[in-house]
Amino acid sequence: MVNLILYGTESSPPVRAVLLTLRALQLDHEFHTLDMQAGDHLKPDMLNKNPQHTVPMLEDGESCIWDSHAIIGYLVNKYAQSDELYPKDALKRAVVDQRLHFETGVLFHGIFKQLQRALFQENATEVPKDRLAELKDAYALLEQFLAENPYVAGPQLTIADFSIVATVSTLHLSYCPVDATKYPKLSAWLARISALPFYEEDNLRGARLLADKIRSKLPKQFDKLWQKAFEDIKSGAGKQ
Amino acid sequence: MVKLTLYGVNPSPPVRAVKLTLAALQLPYEFVNVNISGQEQLSPDYLKKNPEHTVPTLEDDGHFIWDSHAIIAYLVSKYADSDALYPRDLLQRAVVDQRLHFETGVVFANGIKAITKPLFFNGLTRIPKERYDAIVEIYDFVETFLAGHNYIAGDQLTIADFSLISSTTSLVAFVEIDRVKYPRIIEWVRRLEKLPYYEEANAKGARELETILKSTNFTFAT
Repeated sequence: MVNLILYGTESSPPVRAVLLTLRALQLDHEFHTLDMQAGDHLKPDMLNKNPQHTVPMLEDGESCIWDSHAIIGYLVNKYAQSDELYPKDALKRAVVDQRLHFETGVLFHGIFKQLQRALFQENATEVPKDRLAELKDAYALLEQFLAENPYVAGPQLTIADFSIVATVSTLHLSYCPVDATKYPKLSAWLARISALPFYEEDNLRGARLLADKIRSKLPKQFDKLWQKAFEDIKSGAGKQ
Repeated sequence: MVKLTLYGVNPSPPVRAVKLTLAALQLPYEFVNVNISGQEQLSPDYLKKNPEHTVPTLEDDGHFIWDSHAIIAYLVSKYADSDALYPRDLLQRAVVDQRLHFETGVVFANGIKAITKPLFFNGLTRIPKERYDAIVEIYDFVETFLAGHNYIAGDQLTIADFSLISSTTSLVAFVEIDRVKYPRIIEWVRRLEKLPYYEEANAKGARELETILKSTNFTFAT
């Protein structure tokens, strides 16, 4: 009997990476919402479970596991019927691992968290240009990852797609829409992942919540860009 | 016959993490120095190997693997006689993986690169105070992870130690490790220093990086 409890908040990109993985593996779980602004994650009980006090945190029976990438790797290793989502082949796994660390180091900590800090802690009135340039470099690199394959780590859907889409979909709806003419492969990949059953519930809803919060803090000139991005999504531009 | 080539520079912490792993596994390899100041990593030849143009990159039989964490996991999975350095037990592995991602995001991206990128590329020698605070927070976490354990992911040496020692021993160039506040970190560093390959694989490069960093005469804003 599987007894999984996921702690977090659905606006958090790494939490959504875990939700996408749980869905793909058809694993039942309980979801415990943590109110981060109220400091739920810093309460003694939670600190005991995860001293790094990050979300997501997964409880599997007696065990507590955190860091979204560690969690999604664990879930496939333990519960999947095949290794498709996280290949056992050493070379294929190294590609997935590299993509996961790219998400951690470049997309999440290097770009997303720094943008959030500028906007919500330093009350910046515009998006820092150097960060935006880094984000475009990251999009360009993803475009290369997708040059010959439909998924970020090769011909098959893997946990690297779940991890990266959770962050990129948020960035796409907030700081920097993915321009389908500049990044046709990345744009098509976003559309491909968006077509997964329950994608809206598992990722898009939370991404929108977070993006709305970000957009309410951003200057108005971004509105045109978003309008274009949303039209692209509606019209299916960028789909192959 | 294994033919491995490691592309990198000795001062780079993630390159040292790979050197420690190669030494622990007693794997012979060729080391190819990448001329970073000459932007060799942006040459078409290097970009073909690693489009993210980072170091280290590992070449194994015509395959190119990058990101130090992906490389060291790969090396153990492929070449180690046992799984000790990267346990197959799923819960132990999840702890190692968590530590590796902690190194990538919190330590390397937010602790080191957030300082060195503006310092080396924009000449910003006055480092914002929050960068200092970020390093202190890293030490707090590492001290916590070591509670009740000799190694960073439990009671045995793993690749998470190699990854985190390479960056921790470079963070000290910015913020000294307080001996009273962080006794477990001090002990852990001493423990790893005793490894026979430690001097060559990590200490030498860490000293080189410290010299480079100190030569910038950086200061922290208060």
